[in-house]
Amino acid sequence: MGWFWTTVSSRPLLNDVTDNPRLLDRQLVARCLQGDPLAERALYDAHVDRIYRLMHRMAGEPDLAADFTQETFIRAFERLGQYRGESALATWLHSIAVSVALNGMRKVKRFRTSSEPVAAVDADERLAVQPTGFTVDLKARLHAAVDALSEKLRPVFVMHDVEGYTHEEIAGVLGIPVGTSKARLFDARTKLRVALAAFAGDHIA
Amino acid sequence: MNDDRMDEVLGDAVRDYNAPGAVPREEMWRRIQAARGEPRRASVPAPSRSRWLWPGVGGAVAAAAVLVMGILLGRRIERVDQGRITSPTKVAATTPSVGPTADSGTDRATDSAAAAGRRDSLIERIHEQTKATDRHARQLELASRDSNDGNRAASRERDDESMRLAYRLVMLQHMAGSEAMITAFRASARRGDVDAQMARWARELLGTTRLLESSPASADPTMRRMLQDLDLVIAQIVQYASHGTTNPEELDLIERSIQTRGIMAKLRGTTPTRGRTAGT
Repeated sequence: MGWFWTTVSSRPLLNDVTDNPRLLDRQLVARCLQGDPLAERALYDAHVDRIYRLMHRMAGEPDLAADFTQETFIRAFERLGQYRGESALATWLHSIAVSVALNGMRKVKRFRTSSEPVAAVDADERLAVQPTGFTVDLKARLHAAVDALSEKLRPVFVMHDVEGYTHEEIAGVLGIPVGTSKARLFDARTKLRVALAAFAGDHIA
Repeated sequence: MNDDRMDEVLGDAVRDYNAPGAVPREEMWRRIQAARGEPRRASVPAPSRSRWLWPGVGGAVAAAAVLVMGILLGRRIERVDQGRITSPTKVAATTPSVGPTADSGTDRATDSAAAAGRRDSLIERIHEQTKATDRHARQLELASRDSNDGNRAASRERDDESMRLAYRLVMLQHMAGSEAMITAFRASARRGDVDAQMARWARELLGTTRLLESSPASADPTMRRMLQDLDLVIAQIVQYASHGTTNPEELDLIERSIQTRGIMAKLRGTTPTRGRTAGT
């Protein structure tokens, strides 16, 4: 199967905020550290859309996405003094965001597992959904399969195939080698193929 | 279904995965600011009064802008009402005059409603400013207590100067607010529609006046007399407005107090628009 992975743009996303991102990043951070509220707002405005999008893709709920985004910026402003300019500010912010989202999702899962036992099998139930229409069912099964990916594979898949980040960007954000990012994406796609093979096969046949 | 079609369908399907809606930028920013504000305040054990009191160039400019705006709005209220009332000097509850023809009566009613709308909007804005003045006065009172409790002799002189400047700015704001309120009250009283908002506004101003009377702001004899006069007149207005009556005799008493004490002249005479500043 040719798969759909190539349909997403491979244009780098984290460096398109400005023409000369590193220099402006350092200037912006310096102004923020001096307590300039306009600079803080400029930093927020420059990055909030992409962070929120990624958080929503990871969390699946607007409220959780907003919570994770807020937490990301709160932490970022607290730790801005630790930003050394070795990576793009966007990469640094996304590292915080992914960490916040993964920790947050762990807590949400624990809470749902302990308070709502039914929710724990939600993904499996959706994978077993009876077909009512090919596209609708395929989407439901694919989304459930992505939800069921492990904590290592899911961020890579979501960032690359859903949001269009490059492997270099993902590697920078997750703090892993580029090769590891590629390997994780390969693994994620394989698992999704397996999850969808029988369903798709029935309809394709 | 061929592979291309399958790719297309799957591509669409994955793009829909947890698709985000509109980004709630402002709401998140407000929460971020709120969350960051709390620990920062908590982490500062003894804030510098000179920073906290908001004096300095920025504070002075802001206060002057508020002051001038209050004065201008107050005078606009006066103009709006003078344009509408045929006997502006008479302070009594009267009914609006009736025009000679039905058409001019309709026009007057329309103008009257528009003027009333503008006036209410202006009053609301000035009322908000006087609330802010009251908050500033209370902050200053707290800061003043801190200053008396403090033992940092080295910074005492600088802080005292900051305190004097801050009180002067609050006094200017308070006088602008008082002038606007008294002007609005007189206009409302002429129409016989002194309402609950006016009563609330006057009560708040009376509270601020008494707070300032017991503050370092009244150390200046001119300011002290001004505050005492304001206290008397505003207390009368509170009394009148709270009872919801339209007794012309009570209004005459209030007007006489305003005239004999020269309240409006003093208030206007101490504003920067006349080239003088409070306490000088």
